[in-house]
Amino acid sequence: MSDITQTTEADSADTTETADAASTGVDGPSATGRSSTETTAGETDEHVREEWREYAFEGDAKFAVEDLDVYYGDDHALNGVSIEIPERSVTALIGPSGCGKSTFLRCLNRMNDRIKSARVDGSVRIDGEEIYQDGVNLVELRKRVGMVFQSPNPFPKSIRENIAYGPEKHGDIDTGLLARLLNRSDADERDRLVERCLRDAALWEEVSDRLDDNALGLSGGQQQRLCIARCLSVDPEVILMDEPASALDPIATAKIEDLIDDLAEEYTVVIVTHNMQQAARISDQTAVFLTGGELVEYGETDQVFENPHSERVEDYITGKFG
Amino acid sequence: MAGAAETALVREDTTGTEAVAGVAIALAVLLFAFDVGVLFDVVSIDGTIAGIPTVALLGGLLVLLGGAVVSFGVGSFLGYVETEPSPDAGLVAAAVFTLVWFGLGGAAAQAVAGGSLLWLPAAAATGGLAFAVAVLTREDLGSTLPAGAVAIVVGVVYLTGTIGPAWAWNLGFEQQASITAPFLVPVATAGCALLAGWAAAKAYGGFGARGRRMGAYLLVYTNAGAIISVLFVLIAFTAFRGIPGLLNGAAVGPGVGPSVSVLGVGVALPVSVPFVTNGVGLLNDFQGVFPAIVGTIWLVVGAVAFAVPLGVGAAVFLTEYAERGRLTQAVEVATNGLWSTPSIVFGLFGFTFLVPRFAGNKSLLSGMLTLGFMLLPLVLITSREALLSVPDEYRDASAALGVTKWQTIRSVVVPAALPGVVTGVILGVGRIAGETAPILLTMTGGTFVSRDRAADVIGGFAFTAQPPFVTNPELLQATTALPFQLYALITAGVGLGDNVSNPTEFQWATAFVLLLVVLSFYAIGIGTRYYFRRQLRHE
Ligand SMILES: Nc1ncnc2c1ncn2[C@@H]1O[C@H](COP(=O)(O)OP(=O)(O)O)[C@@H](O)[C@H]1O
Ligand SMILES: [Mg+2]
Repeated sequence: MSDITQTTEADSADTTETADAASTGVDGPSATGRSSTETTAGETDEHVREEWREYAFEGDAKFAVEDLDVYYGDDHALNGVSIEIPERSVTALIGPSGCGKSTFLRCLNRMNDRIKSARVDGSVRIDGEEIYQDGVNLVELRKRVGMVFQSPNPFPKSIRENIAYGPEKHGDIDTGLLARLLNRSDADERDRLVERCLRDAALWEEVSDRLDDNALGLSGGQQQRLCIARCLSVDPEVILMDEPASALDPIATAKIEDLIDDLAEEYTVVIVTHNMQQAARISDQTAVFLTGGELVEYGETDQVFENPHSERVEDYITGKFG
Repeated sequence: MAGAAETALVREDTTGTEAVAGVAIALAVLLFAFDVGVLFDVVSIDGTIAGIPTVALLGGLLVLLGGAVVSFGVGSFLGYVETEPSPDAGLVAAAVFTLVWFGLGGAAAQAVAGGSLLWLPAAAATGGLAFAVAVLTREDLGSTLPAGAVAIVVGVVYLTGTIGPAWAWNLGFEQQASITAPFLVPVATAGCALLAGWAAAKAYGGFGARGRRMGAYLLVYTNAGAIISVLFVLIAFTAFRGIPGLLNGAAVGPGVGPSVSVLGVGVALPVSVPFVTNGVGLLNDFQGVFPAIVGTIWLVVGAVAFAVPLGVGAAVFLTEYAERGRLTQAVEVATNGLWSTPSIVFGLFGFTFLVPRFAGNKSLLSGMLTLGFMLLPLVLITSREALLSVPDEYRDASAALGVTKWQTIRSVVVPAALPGVVTGVILGVGRIAGETAPILLTMTGGTFVSRDRAADVIGGFAFTAQPPFVTNPELLQATTALPFQLYALITAGVGLGDNVSNPTEFQWATAFVLLLVVLSFYAIGIGTRYYFRRQLRHE
């Protein structure tokens, strides 16, 4: 493990330098002849270095995660993860299945609280505020940090009701019977909201004439965009996506990818994907988790894909395992 | 061709032979249907049809059917018909044939030789022969010969008059039991028709795997058809007997009916059915069951209004809030036990605990609550199942939007579970609407109630200045309901006075109205469920 010379260079966040390294770097890391042993799974055994996970970026960090450990019963699913996620950008989480990507994502809006066996240690701060402490308002947290799931899960209600659901439950718009009787119904406001969210989710053109139809009648790709629109309806700052396109066909996937690109201008997007091309296409920075729930490498997407520091990450990216 | 055993990819044109087997199947089905008619007295067993006595006609059809089946089997064996038989008919078929022939042989020997023990070797011989044919010969012979022969033998017995409409076999029991022709003939004919029809279906499929599938289809469809026809026969039977009484004194024409007020204007309905709109009174031209209908409807409405909120609430608590463990298990066992509790026990409970607490006499309210308690466990069980089957994704999606658990349950989980809940209520109402025992003990007053004593629950509400501010004497009075009235009519038999010329007609009409009321509740339930399902799905 004497590969410090190369990795320290590439550690810099400077793009040009990384690109340089990348051009020579294809055979670089392996050519340096690391001393490593292979595990049975085909993964090489190596020691993770702190600097592989350091990523300097301009602007503010939306999330600052420190020493995060998650246990499901005795199962240690996340192992000492520390990471800072910049705002208004797309962060991709990749890694073989079972390495804890979804678990990590669920820590960011405390959806792990819903799993009885899960125990979370460590610190997650959003805009500097700790979310794992007493007195955290989960409603407010989840309004700020929205989530889109792996399989599209619209409610069995109309398209309009799906979008208006969150704001109505939070009391932001009121179209109930009482409000209508008292003539202070927010129906217009709701319709504007529905239209805006659907437009933002690039779905308006397709469904504008059937807002009262049941959402389950939409195609898988449309349903997923509806879920994104529903997530936007409560005006979040962050959108977490757990393999949002894994159940979709290539065309629907391309639409979702374009959408993510647009969303990153306004929102902080954290996306889990098992599709490496997808991660490379859409993300600004990439975090690689490997077996054991370890964050092995984190950095600018181009650098991670073209010139990874870790030999295991390179093996994973080139498809030797995973 | 690699080998003679190879199955052709495309079956050659077999229309001719299939037609023969198809006719045999049709014959079997016809026989079966005809037979159901005989069993339910629609076709008289000692009458004639087209000049032929019924039993002889059945016998002739059986012989025809058996002959067709046997000749098809023999034809296939001799190679005139192209089929793909297996080496034998299979063990199950062999066992059935053995049993049937064992019985047939025994009965024949008994009839010929009388009370001696000779029947046993005879039965063993015929049974053994059937077994040997089924197991040792190829499938085309093995499954057609024993089946077809049964039909022929039974048919000949009918044709020769050995068993006629007047035939009876005294069993010699202490209780004077005997097997008579009106019972034996339909049952035996149905058995033969099934057996031969099964063999014909096998032949239709060309034996082998396809044939076995055809045979299974025939049995399954006959079974399903029989279930449906029992339902229809039951309804038709009640309707047939009940309609004359129901329409007693009914009239259609402008202004003949009772007047109802529509928007403050009294309008006389153009139909008048006194049986449904009248009570029992000395001065009535026609007696009716109006109070009982109203009582039944209020009973069901009250029980549902009591049990559904409680049951759904408990199910929500158990599914969404309570830790799965001892408590939920205990509640599950308890609810299942409650659902199996005999209704008379519920009645006794109501009689002991509810009746003394409401005005001290039997009352509509006690009846509602007793039936509500009976309904509760089923509503709880089905609501729990329905809630458990709501996908967790909905709960996750809602939680991820920051919506609280209670709001999620109210707006997403319960609506998604409603069709299941309604299914439970439908099943439960079907049970409680016809209950007699509990209301006998808790609710019912006189059997024959005049129209003005029908429960007027809505009109009975009155407001008072003192707590409890709302009173409703109607709820605290005894009244009557259709199942109870039917029970009383049958046990009492008389008591209707001279105004009812035909008590039997009155009873059947009451039964028919009860059936109609229960079926309309059922229809309302189905409609409600359909509505909620439409809300959840795209159509
Ligand atoms: N609800 C759960 N209960 C128990 N163990 C879980 C649960 N969810 C995930 N795990 C475990 O945590 C580890 C990481 O899972 P996950 O975060 O889903 O991985 P990924 O999304 O990267 O495929 C796996 O070993 C998995 O078995
Ligand atoms: Mg996952």
